[in-house]
Amino acid sequence: MATTLKDLRPVYVAGIGFHRYQFLSDTPYVTLGLAAVRAALDDAGVAWPAVDSAYVAKALLPMAPGRAMLRHLGDHGLPIVHVENASASGSAAFRHACMEVAAGLADIALVVGVDKPMPVGRAESLARIGSLADDAIAPFTHFALLADAYAARTGASVEDIALVAVKNHRNGSKNPFAQHQKERTLDEILGGKKIAGGFTSLQCTPVGEGAAAVIIASEEGLRRRGVGLDRAVRVASSAGRSQHLYDDATRYDAMLTQETTQIALAQAQLAPGELDVVELHDAFTVEEVEYVEAMGLCPDGQAVPMLKEGAFDIGGRCAVSPSGGLISMGHPIGPTGVGQIGEITRQLRGEAGPRQHPGARSGLAHMVGVGAVCYVHVLQKP
Amino acid sequence: MSDPDLLKPTLYRRAGSAARPEPPALLGGACACGHVFFPLQSYGCERCGGTDLQPRALTGAGRLLASARVHLHAGKGREAPFTVGSIRLEDGPIIRTLIEGGETRLHPGAAMVAVLAPVTDPQGSARLDLRFMAEA
Ligand SMILES: [Zn+2]
Repeated sequence: MATTLKDLRPVYVAGIGFHRYQFLSDTPYVTLGLAAVRAALDDAGVAWPAVDSAYVAKALLPMAPGRAMLRHLGDHGLPIVHVENASASGSAAFRHACMEVAAGLADIALVVGVDKPMPVGRAESLARIGSLADDAIAPFTHFALLADAYAARTGASVEDIALVAVKNHRNGSKNPFAQHQKERTLDEILGGKKIAGGFTSLQCTPVGEGAAAVIIASEEGLRRRGVGLDRAVRVASSAGRSQHLYDDATRYDAMLTQETTQIALAQAQLAPGELDVVELHDAFTVEEVEYVEAMGLCPDGQAVPMLKEGAFDIGGRCAVSPSGGLISMGHPIGPTGVGQIGEITRQLRGEAGPRQHPGARSGLAHMVGVGAVCYVHVLQKP
Repeated sequence: MSDPDLLKPTLYRRAGSAARPEPPALLGGACACGHVFFPLQSYGCERCGGTDLQPRALTGAGRLLASARVHLHAGKGREAPFTVGSIRLEDGPIIRTLIEGGETRLHPGAAMVAVLAPVTDPQGSARLDLRFMAEA
């Protein structure tokens, strides 16, 4: 049996920082990224020269944006690696930074996600395997098909599934870093622009830009810099998987989420019911109902009734997407997985202000990415 | 050998299959391990990794798993609205395809059949493309 993160020396999230997720603007990516990194360093109480290693997550920006941004923090020379893993780029960067610190190869590491919307190709299309209608099936249409199948399987209605957007826009309205910061009624959401199937625009993640950064560290690394563990959050486990060949090939994200979450929870020695906050890949409303079931936060087919009784609200049984999630906070791709770690850290520190989930002690971050790949991290208050 | 009237002759053919003589058939593949897939490829089997992959004509019959009417579409050469569906072929593979007659609500579980429908290719020529529709 291979060693897990839990078997190595403890790794802590010591600092978090953001640049607001927003619609495409003239702001250079360097400005976005530096804002997040400087905020994370300040929050950790660590100076730039103390950082041993840097991970830059991006999916859309061109080759090697890292040093062109980080050089403005001062002369350094640290190793910089870029991580591209579709929507899960930030989560993958976080996992590998944690491994480096846990293994003792670095004491303090920076993980920064930064991106701006740009046209990109999909490698899959270069395999030259034809398709009947892939050009007709945008991501929102893929998920609209899953929503239709979910409705047929569970009896949920279009209105039921849209309740995810009501909750997540409400959470996002309290997040100063969210792209959408406006509370929405169910009627407003359902009355929006029709996209595909039951989806309207406010049930789909907005395209945007932004940045998120976290500083991770070992206890020795922090103590040597005169920083204690009082605001640090422990990375209790890390799991990364890619999809298998499933009987229902269309439900790969849910099947993969189930497997990866089980591994991460087992490593952290937690049951799904012990999680207080969860940030998951809710790019489209149906994903949240599928994933809370796949993760074991509720029994199969029970996501809608539990959503209706407020189980996934801030202050409910488990706050799901307290940041507003991808639907409201946004999904600038490279930053998204890093931003989830930032939100969970804020919640576990008890510093989330108006969107604080009371008594949060354990949190889980989940991303899936085209491929499909999946990452799950569990964070705990020490 | 390929039919010049078909828009994507590597994916389907006019002639039916042994199991279902009615046209058209889908051009899938089968591995020595028993895995049946669509479309045909020669890179390697997604189940066992083997490279002994043989062409297999799949019947144009299946059951609808899900459908969605698409109201917004950015790609050129295709005007919304249109309907797409996930269909489990009776030979096993699940495909994603355009649905004819999708203006009316389709229900998961419905029996679906493949048809060749007239379309115009990007050069403006009349062609036939594969669609599925609810079985009459
Ligand atoms: Zn095989």
